[in-house]
Amino acid sequence: MDKQSTLDVRTMPLIMEGITLSFPGQTVIEDFSMLLPWGEKQVLAGASGSGKSSILRVILGFIVPDKGNIQIDGHAVDGKSIWHLRKKIGYVPQEPQLGTGKVQDILNHPFTYKANAGMSLDLQQQSQLLEQFSLPVSILEKEITDLSGGEKQRIAIIAALLLKRPIYLFDEPTSALDKENAAVLADLLMRSDMTALVATHDARLAGIGDCITLPGRGGNGGGH
Amino acid sequence: MTEAVIHPWGVAAGYLMTLIPLGVIYWYKLPMMGQALLAMVRMTIQLVFVGLYLQVVFRLNNFWLNLLWLVVMVAVADGSILKGCGLKIRVMATEIFIALLVGVAIPLIVFVGVVLSCPNVLDARLMIPIAGMILGNCMRADIVGIRTFYQSLAGSQRILEYRLGQSASLSEATRPFVIQALQQAMTPTVATMATFGLVSLPGMMTGVILGGNDPMTAIQYQIAIMLSIFTGTSITVTLGIRLSARRAFNAYGIPDKSIFA
Repeated sequence: MDKQSTLDVRTMPLIMEGITLSFPGQTVIEDFSMLLPWGEKQVLAGASGSGKSSILRVILGFIVPDKGNIQIDGHAVDGKSIWHLRKKIGYVPQEPQLGTGKVQDILNHPFTYKANAGMSLDLQQQSQLLEQFSLPVSILEKEITDLSGGEKQRIAIIAALLLKRPIYLFDEPTSALDKENAAVLADLLMRSDMTALVATHDARLAGIGDCITLPGRGGNGGGH
Repeated sequence: MTEAVIHPWGVAAGYLMTLIPLGVIYWYKLPMMGQALLAMVRMTIQLVFVGLYLQVVFRLNNFWLNLLWLVVMVAVADGSILKGCGLKIRVMATEIFIALLVGVAIPLIVFVGVVLSCPNVLDARLMIPIAGMILGNCMRADIVGIRTFYQSLAGSQRILEYRLGQSASLSEATRPFVIQALQQAMTPTVATMATFGLVSLPGMMTGVILGGNDPMTAIQYQIAIMLSIFTGTSITVTLGIRLSARRAFNAYGIPDKSIFA
């Protein structure tokens, strides 16, 4: 951390250094480092299996890397700090599994968590986002399991944005979106002052910020 | 009321009756003849041993010996539950043991101390059969509940991650899985209570009637034991999940796969 320790962490909400992650018989990420300044968007690109999703899951503590350090907002990620640091992050998973219940309940539920105490669902923003993503208000009364893949993905994006986090991690957020809705998300990301790391191989999001291309599986750069 | 009398030669005659199931196995060439015979031999030896042992235990009625019996029953149930759930015994044994001990002790104290107004909760003649019935029923419910909890977690890790990603605490993120497990575990007990007397005469009631008591006494015992089983089930499953969960997740709230046997 010698090099990074000289960086001003106030301008770097996310620092990853020397991350190596392997599963039995396979190295998924090898010696990966990156810096994400406040207010900037970066695109994590790479072929399927190159470890894009794994990097996002490592940041959130869902996978513990073999080696390397992660800092979020100046705090090292470990088993203790992660519970506090997750409050700074909005996460949109790939092919989101949102549980069961009505859409409105799914959107309300995060505000019942202790960590989000003091926050409440912004109904005005909810209406705006539904409209922006071409979803009718009536969808709020539908069961989440009855929605299409594209609708679920938009609800997952809306749920994350309603939490108003300073940092966002998007995992293939346009995989089930049509051209119009992908453009809405790209526009929203570009106009917003949020800090975001977007794992995608969708060219429609290429313009939102700097691009980090991961080598193919095996980490030897030969998998493109 | 006439007390039914049972004699060893009568039981021996009962073995003759098994010529029917053994005949079915033989006729249809079911591949379980050896298994069935061995099961009958094992049952006989085990029960004769328990009968002889209990005679001594009942005669001595020693506090420490009775307590030891309870602890052994709980420990055996502990091992069976973990095996039935596919979880590692050395990782979870203490947590499930505590859950079972608390879940059996509370209804046992109420049953013996309050319902039967017996000051000695560990009286062998009361404690051993009552604790055995509570434990036996809890064990089945615990296997269903704890196994459901860990299997649904293993199959829905992305849902868990989604909730953790929204800043849920571990107990908030796992709550839907706990609810599902408790429902699965407690539904059979609730359903059994609802059909008692209509579909079948339950075991304890049958025993009390065979022992020469009148049906109204028998139903009071049956009601008390069912309420004890219901209480014990709720405590053992809830505690079993909550306590074992402390060992089942890493510091980041993700299930630790090494807990599975």
